[in-house]
Amino acid sequence: MKQFKHEVIFCVVNSGFSESAMEAAREYGARGGTVFRARGTANLEAEKFLNILIQPEKEIVMILVDSSIKDDILHALYRAVGLNTPGQGIAFSLPVDQVVGISAPEEEKSE
Amino acid sequence: MPGENELVKVYTPKKRTTPTPKKPIPPKLKLLFTIVNREKADVFTALLESFDINMQLVVAAQGTATTEMLRYLGYSDNKKAVIISVIREDRANAALQFLEEKFKTIKNGKGIAYTVPMTSTIGVAIYQFLSNTRR
Repeated sequence: MKQFKHEVIFCVVNSGFSESAMEAAREYGARGGTVFRARGTANLEAEKFLNILIQPEKEIVMILVDSSIKDDILHALYRAVGLNTPGQGIAFSLPVDQVVGISAPEEEKSE
Repeated sequence: MPGENELVKVYTPKKRTTPTPKKPIPPKLKLLFTIVNREKADVFTALLESFDINMQLVVAAQGTATTEMLRYLGYSDNKKAVIISVIREDRANAALQFLEEKFKTIKNGKGIAYTVPMTSTIGVAIYQFLSNTRR
């Protein structure tokens, strides 16, 4: 088992925007992701107060990435599907200790 | 009743001579994410139970391999399952090594797995349940 330096990015977007999120992430080196559907539970009072409508149907895109490209991908996600876009997405990353099952990048293979 | 000028003796407990035995530090917990084909989710959850895992969540998900390319190749099955298991830190390594082997040997069982550290949980009973350390 190899010790990798990875992080996992979770990006919560409105339903139908997972493709846009993946496209943005791929541009900066992400290789694949996993999407699952979820339901948002925004505060109803806050919605009324701010006069905005929060779509409850969400998609969560989970992308396992190398730590070195994590910041670029988070910025790309913010630009493509951030809160100021119709995707109304939020993205965050979590540290990953150990990974199994992913193939090493080409540079590592040749070493 | 002690008089106004009388000193009142304050009881001070004697210092213990024998040191109290140190309690062993309870092991930390981690979240183990396992992403596999949906049809194999039951197989992997059953296998993982042997690593002192008491709680697992299975979430239906989809892979994001470019759908056009998959269509051309005749694969349209991108249905995945994300298994989220709570595992003790000292068992995580063994579980990952076991999964790595199973990803290679189980037919159509390829997947990825990784662990994310958990920082807190509340409640002793909950902790004992999650870490499988109940006496």
